[in-house]
Amino acid sequence: MKHLNSKAVTGYVTILVKGTAPEMFFQKCANAGISVWDVKKRDTDLCEGNIKLSDIKQMKHIRRKTIYKITFTGKNGYPFLIRRFLKKKPLVLGLFFSVLLFFFLSNIIWEVKISGVPKDIEEKIDKQLVSYGIHPGAWLFSLDPPTAIQQKLMKDVPELLWAGVDQKGTTFYLEGVEKVVVEEADPKQPRNLVAAKKGVITNLYVSKGTSHVQVNDYVEPGDLLVSGILKGQVVEDEENESEERQEQAKELVAAEAEITANTWYEVSVTVPLEFNYEEITGNQKKKYYLKTGEFQLPIWGFGEPDYKEIHRESNGNNLRFFKWELPIEIVETILSEKTYNKVSRTKEEAIEAGIDQAIIQLQNELGAEATILSEKVLHESIEHGKVNLTLFVSVEENIVRVEPLNQGD
Amino acid sequence: MAKWQQRLRTLLTEQFSLPSDIILEMPRITVIGNIHIYIENHQGLAVYSENELKLKTNNGYVQIRGTSFVLKMMLPKEILLEGTISEVKFLGN
Repeated sequence: MKHLNSKAVTGYVTILVKGTAPEMFFQKCANAGISVWDVKKRDTDLCEGNIKLSDIKQMKHIRRKTIYKITFTGKNGYPFLIRRFLKKKPLVLGLFFSVLLFFFLSNIIWEVKISGVPKDIEEKIDKQLVSYGIHPGAWLFSLDPPTAIQQKLMKDVPELLWAGVDQKGTTFYLEGVEKVVVEEADPKQPRNLVAAKKGVITNLYVSKGTSHVQVNDYVEPGDLLVSGILKGQVVEDEENESEERQEQAKELVAAEAEITANTWYEVSVTVPLEFNYEEITGNQKKKYYLKTGEFQLPIWGFGEPDYKEIHRESNGNNLRFFKWELPIEIVETILSEKTYNKVSRTKEEAIEAGIDQAIIQLQNELGAEATILSEKVLHESIEHGKVNLTLFVSVEENIVRVEPLNQGD
Repeated sequence: MAKWQQRLRTLLTEQFSLPSDIILEMPRITVIGNIHIYIENHQGLAVYSENELKLKTNNGYVQIRGTSFVLKMMLPKEILLEGTISEVKFLGN
């Protein structure tokens, strides 16, 4: 009875027809295309039957031409059920509020679980998370994405080697891996120290090993600086000992030394005479939208701020209901005022900026231990509004490179 | 004229084995046990009560007798009757 189900959805009524030969009225209805079912004869002048809710109008039209009397005796189907339900205001209100409550509860954090770290760090992480606004009871859609939280947490809790932030429904899982300071394995392997770069040695301090160079010596890459082979002292007085013996008396150590040398670099940089940059002035305005698909409904923050240039930054967070993510997003858009700046400079200024830039670049390459002693402009030229510079930079840095000694066994 | 048409139609059904209910415009009656009766291609209701259903057809009436009749479905040319059927009778004009 498939058709009966569809009738229950659209709704149907039971009508009682009174008059002589009441079944003829149903025949008239059927002829007009109204589907009639469950027709029962109650009496000689009474007949009952069901018709669809949508056919009532047409049925009344047919009745007007006849002398039958019609009463509605039953209302069935969902339209009537819903109407009956809607009449009970407190019930509807209660249902609405309970759905709303569930909706709100699905959108707050219920639990923050931290695992994989000892108690003290756990507390520290917890404190940090609270400062980011991640604690039980916080809104889910106001949070940063897990990757951003991960990065912030790694920065703010130095004890963490790695933090995995995962959000599952209303629970935040945080897995941390503590940094364990591992003592570097003692490099007791015999080794030599050789030069990594060419340069003039400025400082020499050898704590282990035999020095092969002196201050102000010029070295090329690969030159031996400190040898890990010590001459044996025990057998030194016995001069007539065989060569073999002497060989054995040699002691192999791991050479240790600190050798700085004056090295030099040629750096070329290009500096434009004119350049543009954007700057955010600090004025900003926040807007909130509800977003489904391409449609955005503004819910907070109306009107465009009267900034000349606007930098827009949008963050979206999905709303959820129970464990499901709704296709509705709360989007926070930050409108920041920005200014375009155009700067032009003279050749001298450009050269100065180029030198600074080159020094910073070189310092980054060499690391913090290297000190830049002096720089000299070797060559400069202006081409297409750009200054090309070739610089000579002299640096004092550690040039030691470890080379293991092959014991030859 | 009508008689000539009738003969032609009978001929058609016999010679080309076309379905007789369509060609002859006669009711097709399907009976399921004694509880359901399904009548297609009738010309309208004549009498209906708890114990009797009389339908007009092209060449007379079909009378169905029984007890506790309910018209389960009514469409322009079809009727599904439910109840306890005791007899089906064809009445001439």
